[in-house]
Amino acid sequence: MKIKLVLLWLAVGLTLGWGVFKTLENALKLFA
Amino acid sequence: MGSSFFNRDQTVAPPGYNRFLVPPAALAVHLSIGQVYAFSTFKLPLTKIIGITHSAPSDWSGSEVGWAFSIAIAILGLSAAVFGRWVERAGPRLSMFVAALCFGSGFIVSAIGIHLHQIWILYLGYGVLGGCGLGIGYISPVSTLIKWFPDRPGMATGMAIMGFGGGALIAAPLSVMLMDHFKTAVSNGVLESFVTMGVIYFLYMMIGVIFVRVPASDWKPDGWTAADKPRSLVTSANVAVDLAWRTPQFWLLWVVLCMNVTAGIGVLGQASPMIQEVFAGRVTPAAAAGFVGLLSLFNMGGRFVWATISDYLGRRNTYLVFFLAGIVLYSAVPSLGHSGSIPLFVAAFAIILSMYGGGFATIPAYLRDVFGSMNVGAIHGRLLTAWSVAGVLGPQLVDSIRQSQIDHGVPKAEAYSITMYVMCGLLLLGFLCDVAMRPVNPRYHFRPAKPA
Repeated sequence: MKIKLVLLWLAVGLTLGWGVFKTLENALKLFA
Repeated sequence: MGSSFFNRDQTVAPPGYNRFLVPPAALAVHLSIGQVYAFSTFKLPLTKIIGITHSAPSDWSGSEVGWAFSIAIAILGLSAAVFGRWVERAGPRLSMFVAALCFGSGFIVSAIGIHLHQIWILYLGYGVLGGCGLGIGYISPVSTLIKWFPDRPGMATGMAIMGFGGGALIAAPLSVMLMDHFKTAVSNGVLESFVTMGVIYFLYMMIGVIFVRVPASDWKPDGWTAADKPRSLVTSANVAVDLAWRTPQFWLLWVVLCMNVTAGIGVLGQASPMIQEVFAGRVTPAAAAGFVGLLSLFNMGGRFVWATISDYLGRRNTYLVFFLAGIVLYSAVPSLGHSGSIPLFVAAFAIILSMYGGGFATIPAYLRDVFGSMNVGAIHGRLLTAWSVAGVLGPQLVDSIRQSQIDHGVPKAEAYSITMYVMCGLLLLGFLCDVAMRPVNPRYHFRPAKPA
């Protein structure tokens, strides 16, 4: 159950994290 | 996968099931359907299907393509309202599967429309089929999460609805990457990207279908008991969906959501030109795109943070904060523009957009407090019609006021001031409706039929 929990959170967390990273990359141009 | 897999009874969790498996299942669905907020990345390429590098005379126009998005959002609200009761009956697994099927096949049908260059097939695919996937997918995990987290309903639904805000952050770079990958001398890569995204989103949403579970009817979190003296608006009774929408409370909450969304969505749609016009010569188009991205981040984060805060502050108080802080911030925007401070201007809108997202995420728990959890998914579905109305009202209001200001000789940088004061008026109306909220009259409460 614990492995399933970790894998499931990783699947959604990494996807969302990638989107946040890409957005922040662009957002930083605002203050460059 | 037999039909029994989708049977609601088959999705009842066994004893000891970890309830924290359910939020990521819901997130898998919301992160996918949140793609709709990034549809604009396809807008320009869809006007160059024939010309490839430029718009040929026979290519679709931008406004024709834009209708696909508008239809999808309108169908979202309608399908959530129409299918809400079915979603409650069928359970989250079957409804998530239908949402995955509609949303994924919507992309495939759209790709056929692009291949045949028939705009009505694009409307049917992305707008109607995809829109049904959006509406059903949006409400399918809500009541399940509320039942799993009776101790923290705001946090639980906020987590899922945060995914809808986050979906655009993933879809925008993903769409650009796919179009770059599939681009050739005879195709701009949109068709292939649509097919790929249809398959990816279907498979990703299936994670939710496989892992979602409903709690047993007598399940409660370990050591948790309902509060002896709940907050004044929190009921232990239930109101059936067909009666709920006849109560004044439903329509007060409808206006509360509609005003909060109208104020936020109007700004979100105009964010890029607004910052470039207010700080003319100081903000480039690339930096303005960064501003929009930053607002999307706050829109997403606000969904989780504010909905979690509402578990402690109470739903009505949370909305009072949204409306009062919104009025202060919107009325300060013209002065912040004049002051020339970009960081302060950005900070004001970041907070405004966090409250816009927070409004979406807090409403399911507010409905649970007022109407009980029995039909909360279906009631939420009907309330989402407020979103459809706001989706048209907000951008139209901002556009028309700004245009009329410019037509009357007001400089572009100043043309947003009146809009901001109109937004304050809308928020004041929302504030008054929120203040007027009272518990539902007990005559609307659900009473199970007594055995004969």
